[in-house]
Amino acid sequence: MSRAPALRALIAPLLLVLLWQVWASNLPARRHVPTPTKVFAAAYELIATGELPLALGQSLLRVIAGFAVAAVIALALGLLMGYFRAVGRNVDPVVESFRPIAPIAFLPLAILWFGTGTPAAVFIVAYAAFFPIIVNTIHGVRSVDASLARAALTMGVRRATILRTVILPGALPQIFTGARLGMGVAWTSIIAAELAVGAKAGSGGSGGIGQMMFVFYAYSVELNSIVVCMISVGLIALAIDRGLLWLQRRSMPWIEDKR
Amino acid sequence: MLEWYRYHKKMGSASVRRRAVGGILGAATYARAMLFFLLLWHLVSVWIANPVLLPGPLRVMESLFQMVASGELVEHALVSLRRLAVSFVAAGAIGIPLGVAMGMNRPFDDIVDPLVEVLRPISGIAWIPLALFILGVGDALPIFIMFYGALFPFVLNSYAAVRAVPPRYADAARTMGVPRRRIIANVMLPAALPGILVGARLAAGAGWMSMVAAELIGAPSGLGFAVEWYRELLMTSKMLAVVVSIGILGYTIDRVLRAVQHRMAPWSPAVRSEQ
Amino acid sequence: MSVLPKIRLKNVRKTFGAPRSGTETLAVDDVSLDVLTGEFLCIVGPSGCGKSTLLNIIAGLEMPTSGVVEMDSHPITGPGAERGVVFQDYALFPWNTVEENIGFGLRHRAGPRPPPDERRRKVAEYIELVALSGAEHKFPHQLSGGMRQRCALARSLANEPDVLLMDEPLAALDAQTRLILQEELLRIWGQERRAPERKTVVFVTHGIDEAVFLGDRVAVMSSHPGRMKEVIVVDLPRPRLETMRASPEFQALTAQIWNHIRDEAYRATVAPLER
Repeated sequence: MSRAPALRALIAPLLLVLLWQVWASNLPARRHVPTPTKVFAAAYELIATGELPLALGQSLLRVIAGFAVAAVIALALGLLMGYFRAVGRNVDPVVESFRPIAPIAFLPLAILWFGTGTPAAVFIVAYAAFFPIIVNTIHGVRSVDASLARAALTMGVRRATILRTVILPGALPQIFTGARLGMGVAWTSIIAAELAVGAKAGSGGSGGIGQMMFVFYAYSVELNSIVVCMISVGLIALAIDRGLLWLQRRSMPWIEDKR
Repeated sequence: MLEWYRYHKKMGSASVRRRAVGGILGAATYARAMLFFLLLWHLVSVWIANPVLLPGPLRVMESLFQMVASGELVEHALVSLRRLAVSFVAAGAIGIPLGVAMGMNRPFDDIVDPLVEVLRPISGIAWIPLALFILGVGDALPIFIMFYGALFPFVLNSYAAVRAVPPRYADAARTMGVPRRRIIANVMLPAALPGILVGARLAAGAGWMSMVAAELIGAPSGLGFAVEWYRELLMTSKMLAVVVSIGILGYTIDRVLRAVQHRMAPWSPAVRSEQ
Repeated sequence: MSVLPKIRLKNVRKTFGAPRSGTETLAVDDVSLDVLTGEFLCIVGPSGCGKSTLLNIIAGLEMPTSGVVEMDSHPITGPGAERGVVFQDYALFPWNTVEENIGFGLRHRAGPRPPPDERRRKVAEYIELVALSGAEHKFPHQLSGGMRQRCALARSLANEPDVLLMDEPLAALDAQTRLILQEELLRIWGQERRAPERKTVVFVTHGIDEAVFLGDRVAVMSSHPGRMKEVIVVDLPRPRLETMRASPEFQALTAQIWNHIRDEAYRATVAPLER
């Protein structure tokens, strides 16, 4: 009885791939139309020549760098803002004013400052990852049950210690959620940034998968390779998210998983 | 729905006063924080002393007013907003029924969910090259990318909203002899409404974010295009003025949708606590 | 007085299987019980004795694994308007006002329904009966616990079921409100009327005092698995008065019931991990 969902899960993707293959192979004109078989072939080639892993690696490195920068700042600021009402009240307006502005809106500025290289990309990634992390950190700190801190006070624990031993662990699940979201946004932003850079700087750029995708669109017109890139972008995003989710569960066994 | 009109009238007087006072205090704190930030910005720009690299806040403000007065900002903004409206409505029209159907029907969910889960990590941004090839540079591209970005919050939030409806409600209706169709229309949907509205707000936000990337790369008009345009012309203060207006509009859209949320679902604790 | 029981349970058994782990729990084992027309039957027992499960089975929200459950000699196959339920957490629809909640069954149930003006009249009648006049246009979140309970009661009553099933309806209230509502409940039920004119009520509770105060008979269950231990007749006169709580007869009955339950309750509370 429990096989049914697993089987059903395969229906739509398989059907889609099948339909795609049939539809694409029956189109008279366009040789360019990507089909599952051609995509597979392109994937094999891109992996074999090392182009794909290289590009993914470049992008990932930038993501990690940008994420690290954002995490350090956002965590520190978030903890302070969450714990000290005054800090929160004063800094929050600025944070909230910037939040609706998409990270990539700052790309032109970043290019102006840093040129079309890695620093600009890292800047955008850091900006993007900053907001989910800080918002969730603040939320996590604030939603720590007030009676927990009070209980610690009645045992004679000092405030600074409480911040470290009660507030931080209490907020950790939410902080982790912020980190996961931050990584997700970071990954999306790097693609966007690299695409945009590719659109402006052409193929003489700094690499990364976003740029590779754009090159396949504008210069060598390899639609199958574009699809390969899209799929790998998706797979990496999934891997990052699931990986962090696993890490979250492993490092916080006291959390009841309500997913 | 006469009731919620009466509800608002009754909640009116006392809470309006309270909210007005709170609003003024909040605005004062906001102004103070922003002023501090603007001062910081001004000092940094003076230190850098390069208006192409970082113009001061006053110059940006000046550009902003000038662009509004000349109408060019409004023109770009309207283009972007129109695209947002189209993609938002399309995403809602498809996403809400899809999410609701998935939430209510297990087999349907089992079939469709893998598709959703496969497509979701491939952000709208990654679709840009392929979409560029198919649609070319123009109006359709940003609309498609924004539609894609807005679709998933609609689907996921509607799904979660329906699943979160306490089974008790349906049980209660069944013990009153209410037939299934009426339960769906008069119990499940109203109960899921707050969550669906939250999804709408998130979808608008996601669409707005996608707008910038899509227009920056593949559109001949709109706010995203304008940012890149002014950078190429090295008119940084105008560029930043556009960025500021993107932020203001994004914030306004969010506030408007919050108000809609509050109007349409005043009973929901989630909605009430957000105000 | 009618000889046929209103509700009959014969050798009812209910097992729950956890689909993931494959373990089965026997919640209710071989319970036989007759509910007489017009009586107020209370069911008490320690935690985990399956009394709520039993109520759900009578309501038709659950099916017994084996055994017979009948109403008026017809098997019960599902929930229906003739068996109204008042839930422990009230299950009031938060998007409807008090008025709309109470009129819900009358408005949406399957089969013939009263026209709008008759419906409004009935709703007004029941609002007055449960003493909620003035709160017609309020939403559940604006009501106190006691008011919500009365609204839930009115909602079930307005639908005019033959049998009223109540699952620990007063459990979520503070002790003082509880005592007051117990008296209110008896008044609303019409304890001064003769049996054939009263609704049949099955009332599940933890509170032994409550059960003796309210009921004509008290069915005592034991737990793990749930079995019917004894059915005790409460032959205190009606109307039940506050003063009766202190009477020796009342005390004797509660003591008798508590003796049945105490050992099991002790084991469940103090030594559950040892089992």
